[in-house]
Amino acid sequence: MTVIDNRVANASTEPEDPRNPRVRLSVFFDAGTLHLITAEDDSAALAGVGRVHGMPAVAFANDARIQGGAMGTAGCAAIEAAYEYAVRERMPVIGLWHSGGARLAEGVESLHAVGRVFAAMTRASGAVPQISVVLGPAAGGAAYGPALTDIVVMSQRGKVFVTGPDVVRSVTGEEITADELGGADAHGRRSGVVHVTAPDDTAAMVRGRHLALLLGHQGRMRTGDITDVDLGNVLPESARRAYDVKPLVNGLLDSPLGEDSLELQAKWAPNIVTALGRLGGRTVGVIANNPLRLGGCLESKSAEKAARFVRMCDSFGVPLVVLVDVPGYLPGVGQEWEGVVRRGAKLLHAFAEATVPRVTLVTRKSYGGAYIAMNSRALGATRVLAWPTAEIAVMGPVAAVRILKRKQLAAVPEEERPALEAKLAAEQEEAAGGLERAQELGVLDEVIDPNRTRTALAEAISSVPPARGSHGNIPL
Amino acid sequence: MAEIRAEMVANVFKVTAAPGDELEEGDAVVILESMKMEIPVLLEEPGRIVSVDVFEGDVVQEGDLLAVVG
Repeated sequence: MTVIDNRVANASTEPEDPRNPRVRLSVFFDAGTLHLITAEDDSAALAGVGRVHGMPAVAFANDARIQGGAMGTAGCAAIEAAYEYAVRERMPVIGLWHSGGARLAEGVESLHAVGRVFAAMTRASGAVPQISVVLGPAAGGAAYGPALTDIVVMSQRGKVFVTGPDVVRSVTGEEITADELGGADAHGRRSGVVHVTAPDDTAAMVRGRHLALLLGHQGRMRTGDITDVDLGNVLPESARRAYDVKPLVNGLLDSPLGEDSLELQAKWAPNIVTALGRLGGRTVGVIANNPLRLGGCLESKSAEKAARFVRMCDSFGVPLVVLVDVPGYLPGVGQEWEGVVRRGAKLLHAFAEATVPRVTLVTRKSYGGAYIAMNSRALGATRVLAWPTAEIAVMGPVAAVRILKRKQLAAVPEEERPALEAKLAAEQEEAAGGLERAQELGVLDEVIDPNRTRTALAEAISSVPPARGSHGNIPL
Repeated sequence: MAEIRAEMVANVFKVTAAPGDELEEGDAVVILESMKMEIPVLLEEPGRIVSVDVFEGDVVQEGDLLAVVG
């Protein structure tokens, strides 16, 4: 931890009411850098500018001491002021949320005001990074506020829901606690609403600061400074064996997932990993199939998760590293009816639209429709690399011959079938051409030694000018 | 008690734990086979195996109970 983070960690010893928004803002920013831009009054919201690891940023906080932080016209105006400042000065904007939503007593006026905040957030989408840190209950309008932003961090004390447990009980008869309904487990694992969870408020703020810095101060890639490590040893000996891709992501980035590099939506749709970290000092976004979960298959949720991440990175000019080991799309009635076609289309759209440098590395298998979706050359990949262990095909050779040569296989006695299958599969592999054929076709640029993966990826990213998509980041 | 359920349709390729085993986080309870892959089902938290509810060769559907951990 840095000195600044230690200061955040020690802040709980301050005697003031920790719900005081000025206290929360001063704890969030670097020591002594907070300047308020709205008045401390009974509006239940306060905005200020300050620094995050030296980077200028804007933040606002609800005042949970007043009507549970409920937002009326004045409170919403403070949040709008924060957004105006952030967009004008091109600074990240961070919300520290603890609010029951719109003020009932103000009626439609407060609904109108909350709606104006949503509109301001949407106008800022893709222009400046928006991070939400949920420190207490954020209900109704205060739930959709964070949901409209790029990344939502939740403290263990945070809760997000449209309607709380009392309303749920009276309408549907379901008995549930606020934590079960909208806590970190509900939104980290079940709904995907929360991207990063934290054990307490301090940790949530530290993570919010790191995320703001990763998006707001991306740095320059210094390829000369990169030290290579052999990342090939993450693969198991058997090509059939599943493995956890996270050690590969850890080894690829300058620092492992945890503090300076952060995985987003780690427990939701875990068959794909999305993470922000640095490579050669520059922020990159990593997308990786995780064979440990669902064999690494793409399915509806993971396609949507990855699509949103691609669009977020593209809108802020964050280059993408795409690590591919995918056996295909997950088959099943549930998947089809869940809209794997519609949601899978989002990922195709997101990659095909992206203008940031985006480099694909195929580590093992890349089959079928999932091959196309994982930032293939056809979708506009900047560069497609492969380890020597990679296979790029419509399907595995054995599966292919079982379909293509089924009559020939059926004609021989059962005991001879495995041997014939193996022979035909070997022929199929040769005919399909493997990596050489992929290179001839131009869909694969280079086969690299796993021990120079970091350098190869960094050089590929640096080989094209930086770019940034001109679109917002709709919360897909 | 935590129930461990199958995430996808699969064959039970190997059962690697038995009732009474004390397992660590990341230890495999069973290895499933699906999409031509052997996919270990790992514990997310340490625990003692109360029951293993499948046999090698079984076909499990998404959501089927594999084991109970105490």
